[in-house]
Amino acid sequence: MNPSALSIRDVSKEFSPGVRVLTHVDLEVVQGETLILIGESGSGKTTLLRMFNGLTHPSSGEVCIHGEPIQVKDPIDLRRHVGYVQQDAGLLPHWTVEENVGLVALLLGWEPERRTSRVHELLDLVQLDPQQFRARYPIELSGGQRQRVAFARALAADPAIVLLDEPFGALDAITRHELQRQFLGLKQRLKKTMVMVTHDVDEALRLGDRIAVLKDGHLLQTGTATDLLNAPAHDYIVQLLRHRSHGDHS
Amino acid sequence: MTRGLHSVCLVALVFFVLLPSPAFSQEDRIVVGSKNFMESKLLAEIFAQLIEARTDLAVERRLGLAGTQVCFEALRTGAIDLYPEYTGTGLVSILQQPPTGDARTALNVVRAEFLKRWDLWWLSPLGFENAYALAIPRSRTDGAPLRTISDLVKIAPSLTGGFGYEFINRPDGLPGLETRYGLTFQRVQAMQQSLKYQAAAAGEIDVLDVYTTDGRLAVYDFVVLEDDRQFFPPYEASGLIRGSTLAEHPELGSILGLLANAFDAGTMRQLNYRLQEGGESPEVVARDTLSALHLLTGDEAVTQPVPHRDGLLAYAWSKRTTLMRRTIEHLSLAGLALGLGILVAVPLGLLLERHHTVAEPVIRGIGLTQTIPSIALLAFMIPVFGIGMLPAVIALWIYSLFPIVRNTYSGLRDAAPQAVDAARALGMTEWQILHWVRLPLAAPVIMAGVRTAGVITVGTTTLAAFIGAGGLGVPIVAGLQMANTTVILSGALPSAALALMIDGFLGRVETWVRPRGV
Ligand SMILES: Nc1ncnc2c1ncn2[C@@H]1O[C@H](COP(=O)(O)OP(=O)(O)OP(=O)(O)O)[C@@H](O)[C@H]1O
Ligand SMILES: [Mg+2]
Repeated sequence: MNPSALSIRDVSKEFSPGVRVLTHVDLEVVQGETLILIGESGSGKTTLLRMFNGLTHPSSGEVCIHGEPIQVKDPIDLRRHVGYVQQDAGLLPHWTVEENVGLVALLLGWEPERRTSRVHELLDLVQLDPQQFRARYPIELSGGQRQRVAFARALAADPAIVLLDEPFGALDAITRHELQRQFLGLKQRLKKTMVMVTHDVDEALRLGDRIAVLKDGHLLQTGTATDLLNAPAHDYIVQLLRHRSHGDHS
Repeated sequence: MTRGLHSVCLVALVFFVLLPSPAFSQEDRIVVGSKNFMESKLLAEIFAQLIEARTDLAVERRLGLAGTQVCFEALRTGAIDLYPEYTGTGLVSILQQPPTGDARTALNVVRAEFLKRWDLWWLSPLGFENAYALAIPRSRTDGAPLRTISDLVKIAPSLTGGFGYEFINRPDGLPGLETRYGLTFQRVQAMQQSLKYQAAAAGEIDVLDVYTTDGRLAVYDFVVLEDDRQFFPPYEASGLIRGSTLAEHPELGSILGLLANAFDAGTMRQLNYRLQEGGESPEVVARDTLSALHLLTGDEAVTQPVPHRDGLLAYAWSKRTTLMRRTIEHLSLAGLALGLGILVAVPLGLLLERHHTVAEPVIRGIGLTQTIPSIALLAFMIPVFGIGMLPAVIALWIYSLFPIVRNTYSGLRDAAPQAVDAARALGMTEWQILHWVRLPLAAPVIMAGVRTAGVITVGTTTLAAFIGAGGLGVPIVAGLQMANTTVILSGALPSAALALMIDGFLGRVETWVRPRGV
C-alpha cells in the first residue's frame, strides 16, 4: 500500500462549547488516491476538509500531512503547497482570470514569464481558451467557467495534494457530467492525492477511489464503492445509496 | 491592484498641495480682535485704522470672535494684541465679581486686577457706556416729565413691560431692578430681543430694556430713563491691550489715547444705526468717524456706499475679491482638516482591523466627538490653541475622523469574506490579504467615508469664523447680526455650492477607486 498522505486521528471539533460538529473522526488518505467525503448539508464535510490545510483546527485529536503533525508546519507555506477549491469557487472578484490562476505562483515568487506560460497551460487543461478568457473578471464568467478557473488555480503550482469542496456544485446536470468526465481524465494523468467533498451519491461513486460517509459529525464508513454497495455498515448508507439516479458508475 | 490605497493617499496629498502655506511672521504686526457684534467690530476697526494711519505697523484684523470668553482667551494667550471691551464685562464675566454701580470704581477694580493677574491694560475709556437701560416710547409718557427710573416707578403699575429672556432672569436685570426701585409693572411680557422695538412702537408694550447705544434708539422716539440709583453695572467701553505689546510699541499707548472720551452714547447710536440699519461696513463707518475726529494723517476718506440692498448678485459682485478670498480660506481650512483626517483615520482604521477587540470601543470613543456641539468644540480649543486657523483646523479635523475610521474599519472587516477566505486558503499572509484583497475591495467604502467627512467638514467650516479663522462663515455671521439676508446668502450659497462640489468630486473618486470586476 502507498504511504499515507493525509491522516486524521480521533479528531473532534466544537465551534462553541458543547456543540460537536465532528465526533472522534479517524481517516487516512493514501498518496495518489481520490477520496470522496459525502454527507448531507451540515454534516461537517467542509469542516473536516479545512483541517487538511490548517484553516480549521481540531478541538482534540491529531492531523498529519505526510506523516508529520500539521501544527509543526508553517501554515502559509503549507497552504501554498496544498491546492484548494472553495465551495463557491472563491475567486478574487477584482483580479482577472490570469491573475487568479497565477496567484499561488505569484506568492511563491515565480518569474512573470514562467507564471504566464503556466497559467496558459492550466487554462488549456480545463478547456478555457486563454486568449478569450485570461483578461476576464470572474463576474464575466458563467458558474461552470468559474469553477474551472478555481480548479486551474488549485493546480497552478503543481501541489501534491488538492482539496476540492463541491467543485461541481450548483451546476446543471449536463455541464456537471461533462466536468466530471474531464476530472476523471485529469485524475488519470495527474496522479495527485485528492480529497473531494460532495453531497451527490452518483458523483461520489463515479469519481472516488474510496468514499467516506459523514453523518452529523460521525464518520460512518470508509471504503470503495463496491465495499459500500456490498457491505454497507449502517442503515443510513443503505438509504443514501438508494438515492442513486441509475446504476452506471463507470 | 492597490489602486484603492494609492488613490486615498493621493486625495490626501492633493489637499495639502492645494493649500497656501500660511505665513507666520510675528514682527511689527498688531493683531486687533473684536467680538461678534457690530459695535465691537466698529471700535476694533477704529483702533486698527488709527494704528495704520499713525504708525508703520501692519495691522491684522480678527473681527467677530465668538463672545467674551473667546476674545479674552485670545488676548491672554497672545493670539491677539488688543480688542474693545466693557468694564462691566471685565468685572462680572471675567473677574466674576459682584457688579458695582459706580463707573469709576468698576474701572479702577478691573484696571488693577487685570494688570496684576495678566499684565493686561485697560486704556482710557472711550467716553460712552453700552449698558442696560429702560426705555419708554415718548408717546406713552402722556406728557408726564419722565426722566429717571424713579419717575417711572409711580406710573409703572399701569404699564406693560416687554423684556428679553435674559434680562428677566439675570439678577442684575429685572429682579434686582424691582427690588432696588420698588418697581412693579401691571404685566411683564417676555420677548425676543429684535421684536421689542416694533412691539413698543406698535403700542403692544410700554417699557422695554435696551442697550444704551443701540442704533435703533436713534430712530425710534424713545425716552431712555436715567438709572438714578445706579442699579445697572457700568459698561464703559475701552481698549484692552497686552502689556507686552505696549512695551514693544510704546507709541500705541499715546496713539490709542487719542480716542479717550471721543464718543458719547448719542454718537455711538448714530454710528450703530449706520451699521445695523444702513448696512454700511465697519471699515467705512470707522474711516468716517476718524476723519470727523481729524485723527487721520492725510485725507484718506474713501467713503464708498455699499450696495447692500441691491440684490444678491450685485452685492456678491461688489464683494467678489473678498468672497474669493473667503472661499479660498474656506477650502484651505476644510481641505487641511480633511487631509489630516484621512492621514490619521485610514491608518487608524487599518490598525483597528488588526486588533478587533479594541476596535469597537475606540470607534465608539471617536464617535462621541460627533456629539459635541461644534461651537462648544471650537470654544474648548481656545485655551489650548488660541484662535485663528490652528484651533479651527484641529476642531474640524476631529469632526472628520469618525466617518473615515468607521468606514475604513468596517469596509476592511466586511470586505468580500469569500475572497478573503480563498486568499488565506491559498497561502497569502495577513499583510498580503490586507494589501491585495481587503484594501482594494474596501476602497469604495473608505472613499464613501471620506466623502461624508468632506461634506461635514465643508459645512462645519462656516463656524470657523467664530474663532477668527475666516472662511465663508464670516459673511454669514455678519449677516446674522445685521439681519441682512443678502449678506448671509453671500456666504451661505457659496459654502453650500462648495459642499456640493466636494461631494461630486469625491463621488467621482469613489467610482474611480472601485476595482474592476466588482
Ligand atoms: N465557523 C463556524 N462557526 C460555528 N459553526 C460552524 C462554523 N463552520 C461550520 N459550522 C457549523 O458546523 C456544522 C458543519 O458545517 P460544515 O460547513 O462542515 O457542513 P457541510 O457538511 O460542509 O455542509 P454543506 O454541504 O451545506 O456545505 C454546521 O452545523 C455549521 O453550522
Ligand atoms: Mg460545505
